[in-house]
Amino acid sequence: MSKSAETLAQHFTAPELLLHALIIELEAVQSYKDLAEQMRECGNKDVAELFEKMSVLEAEHAAKIREEAKDVELPELAPWEYRWSGLEPPENIDLAGVHYLMTPHQALTLALENEVSAMAFFDAVAHDTADDKVRSFAQEFAADERQHVAWMKDWLAKYPPPDDDWDYDPDPPAAID
Amino acid sequence: MSAVAPCKLKASDYKSGTKPVWCPGCGDYHVLASVTKAVAALQLAPENIAVISGIGCSSRLPAYLNSYGFHGVHGRALPLATGLKVARPDLTVICASGDGDGFSIGGNHLLHACRRNIDITYIVMDNEIYGMTKGQPSPTTAPDWDTDLAPGGTGVSPFHPLVIALASGANFVARAFSGDVKGTTRTLAEAISHPGFSFVQILSPCVTFRPDQRDWKTKVHPPPVEFTTDAAQAARRVMTDDGFNIGVLYKGSRDKYNQSVEREVNFECDFDGEFLV
Repeated sequence: MSKSAETLAQHFTAPELLLHALIIELEAVQSYKDLAEQMRECGNKDVAELFEKMSVLEAEHAAKIREEAKDVELPELAPWEYRWSGLEPPENIDLAGVHYLMTPHQALTLALENEVSAMAFFDAVAHDTADDKVRSFAQEFAADERQHVAWMKDWLAKYPPPDDDWDYDPDPPAAID
Repeated sequence: MSAVAPCKLKASDYKSGTKPVWCPGCGDYHVLASVTKAVAALQLAPENIAVISGIGCSSRLPAYLNSYGFHGVHGRALPLATGLKVARPDLTVICASGDGDGFSIGGNHLLHACRRNIDITYIVMDNEIYGMTKGQPSPTTAPDWDTDLAPGGTGVSPFHPLVIALASGANFVARAFSGDVKGTTRTLAEAISHPGFSFVQILSPCVTFRPDQRDWKTKVHPPPVEFTTDAAQAARRVMTDDGFNIGVLYKGSRDKYNQSVEREVNFECDFDGEFLV
C-alpha cells in the first residue's frame, strides 16, 4: 500500500520538503483538535485536555516551519500528490487506535508513535537525499521530532498504564455483546 | 460541473461550524475530510454544491459541510438528489448514504439511479451494520456475524453493491477506504468529475459496534490492475476479489441523462395551493 520514505527521498526538492513538513504539522494540529472535541463530547475530559495540549504543541511547530518557509515559494499539490510513507501524514493519529474511554496513557502512546514515525520520515529523507539543502532541512526537522519523542516519553512516564478493564462502561452504547 | 470559485478555497472552507457527533474513531470523520479535500481540489464553489443524505450516521454529513444540504428521509436520498439535479443541473450534487440506508431501505432507488445515469456522485459509507440504531445486521453484513441481535448470524448472503451498480448502469464505480484519505480524496474528485452516475463504496469502520473493523486498514490494498471501461469485466473482477481492493474499478462512457429535456418542461404550478397552511 505504501512506499517507504527511502524511495520518496530522492524526489523531494527543498520547497517540496518544506511543504510536506508544514502539512504534517497542520494536519496534526487539526487531527488533535478534532480528537479533543470528540473526547470532550464523550465526557473524557482528561484525554480531551491532553489532545488540546498536543494540538498547541504541533501548532508551535507549524509556526516555526512556516517562518522558515516564508521566503520560499511552496509548490501547489493536489491532496493525492503528497508523498507520505504511509496512508496518512506521519503525525496524524490513527483513528483505529482511538476509543471513547481511552486513558491518557493510551493517548500519549498513540502520540508517541506519531512523533517516532515523523522522526523516521525525516531521518530517511536526510539519509537518502543527494541535495544538501534538503538534507539540512530534513535533519533539522528530524531533530525537532526527536525532541518531541523525548517529551512524549517523559510525559508518558507520568501516567500509569491502563487497568485491564479500562474500557468497561456500565452503560455501554452497544445493545449487543 | 459547477463554476470555479474566484479565489483559492481550502478544505477547511468547506466545513460548517457544526461539530460532528460521530463516535471517536469512526471512519466517517475521514470521509468528511476526504469530501472537503476533494471539492477543494476541484475548487467547487460551496454555494454550487448540494449534499443530499438519508438517515443514519453517514447521513449526518450535510450538516458538517458548508454547502447546501438536505438531510432527507430514510432510504430516499437518491430520489431527492435526482429531483434536485434534474431541476438544477448547474449544481454539483453529492449524495451520501450508509449501507442500511442505501442498500436496504433505499436499495431499489440505487438500481434506477444507476439506470438513469443522472450526473450525481453517490457515496455509500459501508460499515456492514446499522450503527445509529445500535448494531443490527445490514445488507452487507457477513452471514455468520454472530450477535445477540442475530444469534448465529443472519445466514443471509451479503449484497454486492458494486456488482449491482455495474449491472444497473452506473457510469463510474469505485471502492475506497476511509482511512486512506489521500486515495479516497482522489477517487471522490474523479467521481465528481466523471459525467453521469458515479458510485463510490467507502469502507468506513464502525469502531463501536464492529471493533473488528479496526483491522481493515491492514486488509485494504490497491487492485492488481487498472480500471476497465468494460462493465462485464469489472463485474467479474469485483465478484472474485476479496472485498478489500480499493480504487477505481470502472469508468463508463454512457451519455448522462439528457437534462435539456427538462428545461422544456413548464414547472409552473400552484405550489401554495398544494399545501394546507
